[in-house]
Amino acid sequence: MSAELAQPQGRLLKQARGWGRAVAMAGRTVGLVLVLFVVVQSLIVVQARPQDLVTGARGMADIIRRATPPDFSKLPDVLWPALETVDIAIFGTIAGVIMALPLAVLAAANVTPSRAFYYLARGTIGFTRAVPDLVWALFFVTAVGLGPFPGGLALAVHSIGMLGRLFAETIEQMDMAPVDALSLTGARRIQIFTHGIVPGVLPALLGISLYRLDENIRSSLVLGFVGAGGIGFQMMTAMNLFQYREVSLLLIVIFVLVLGAERLSAVLREKLA
Amino acid sequence: MLRVSGLSLCYPNGKEALRDFDLTVEAGELVAVLGGNGCGKTTLLRCIARTLAPSAGEVWVNGTDLTHLAGDGLRRARLELAMISQHASLVRRASVLSNVAMGSLGRHFTFRTALGGLPESELRAAHGHLAQVGLEGLAAQRASTLSGGQAQRVAIARALAQRPRVLLADEPVASLDPEAAEEIMRLLSRLAAAENLAVLCVLHQVELACSYAGRVVGMRDGRMAFDLPRAELSRELLRHLYLSEAA
Repeated sequence: MSAELAQPQGRLLKQARGWGRAVAMAGRTVGLVLVLFVVVQSLIVVQARPQDLVTGARGMADIIRRATPPDFSKLPDVLWPALETVDIAIFGTIAGVIMALPLAVLAAANVTPSRAFYYLARGTIGFTRAVPDLVWALFFVTAVGLGPFPGGLALAVHSIGMLGRLFAETIEQMDMAPVDALSLTGARRIQIFTHGIVPGVLPALLGISLYRLDENIRSSLVLGFVGAGGIGFQMMTAMNLFQYREVSLLLIVIFVLVLGAERLSAVLREKLA
Repeated sequence: MLRVSGLSLCYPNGKEALRDFDLTVEAGELVAVLGGNGCGKTTLLRCIARTLAPSAGEVWVNGTDLTHLAGDGLRRARLELAMISQHASLVRRASVLSNVAMGSLGRHFTFRTALGGLPESELRAAHGHLAQVGLEGLAAQRASTLSGGQAQRVAIARALAQRPRVLLADEPVASLDPEAAEEIMRLLSRLAAAENLAVLCVLHQVELACSYAGRVVGMRDGRMAFDLPRAELSRELLRHLYLSEAA
């Protein structure tokens, strides 16, 4: 009796497995077609023409020939814009941290004093992050004129968004037990913040700020292209004047700057961890 | 010192977590609260500390009714009432001494303390509080390096720095080994007598309650099941207290 019952059950089980495999196969095929569609449409939209790379190789080789050897005699002239680039990043990062920190406190769900402040802070952080630093630079160049200052302002405002979000997330993920314990001692809100919250999140916030400084040094190189000072401005001028040997020198300086900032930031962050 | 009368808490979903609870803890007395999981022990402490607002009843601490206070009035009234819990909840990157002195922040609102500093007088006093809990040698150590038992003793020292009249302890030995648990209970019992503190301690360990508490309160379904001197506690009462949880 049980054997008779077992036979149809076994058939049903096999049939169900077969259907399961067919559905999985269909799902994989649809997924593959979707990926192919995404890749092909992107190639069409960007008008990708790999053959142009082959025909343009001669022109590229010509530029490389004209850019070598780098013109090291221009090195003293490059040092000041290089310093300007680093200082734009330092100014932007410090000003960004100063403005992002109070916003992050308001934008962290676990410590914000009210929902209205929370949404206001989140909105400000979202807006400053959504507008690219290059657009902020164009805006500030128009407002305060050419030079490194608009570059610093652009990085500061954009950093508010980037830092504010990461700071707020760090505060939201912190251990709230010491904060609750301090609030039960009768400590005031500001005391709870400075004694309970700051020591807990400070290393993480410093690490994020250092990472931002590293990012800002990269960004400040590009901001010069829209007249916001620094080594980027010098590079744009050299390119417009076809001074390719100076351009290659500037590229070496940029490489050293970016690599140096990255290493320094990584070492300091490691020490903070 | 601590008087609770008719304390009730009803959640918006209609569940009664605490029902008409009356309790008095005198100065120098250690009272243990026993009961099964979810019977309302922690809710009782949270209502007393006013981290939860009771639906009805009164909580009197040293002559002040906490239930009708809010804002700064409640903050000031809470200075008389310290609380420790299962986890020491220390600021891990701060020193042991700073953690202890932080207990006094409610009494010192100055530019220095608002910016993360601590009053010199309280840092000096913190050495004394650490000596009371037997950790004077660890003052300069970071809180993150302490063992569970040591951290709990620092939490008690922090509570002492608050200079409270009432100490609420919510399962203070739950995460400690038996030896450390004995040490903490011995310390609480000694401090209750020496500092004239009213100590209300939620416990799961019946033997610890019987060894160190003067009185034992049993809780079941948000209500008081009994309130007896430890000598009058019987197996039958305890069986009844914990059996209801399984049923």
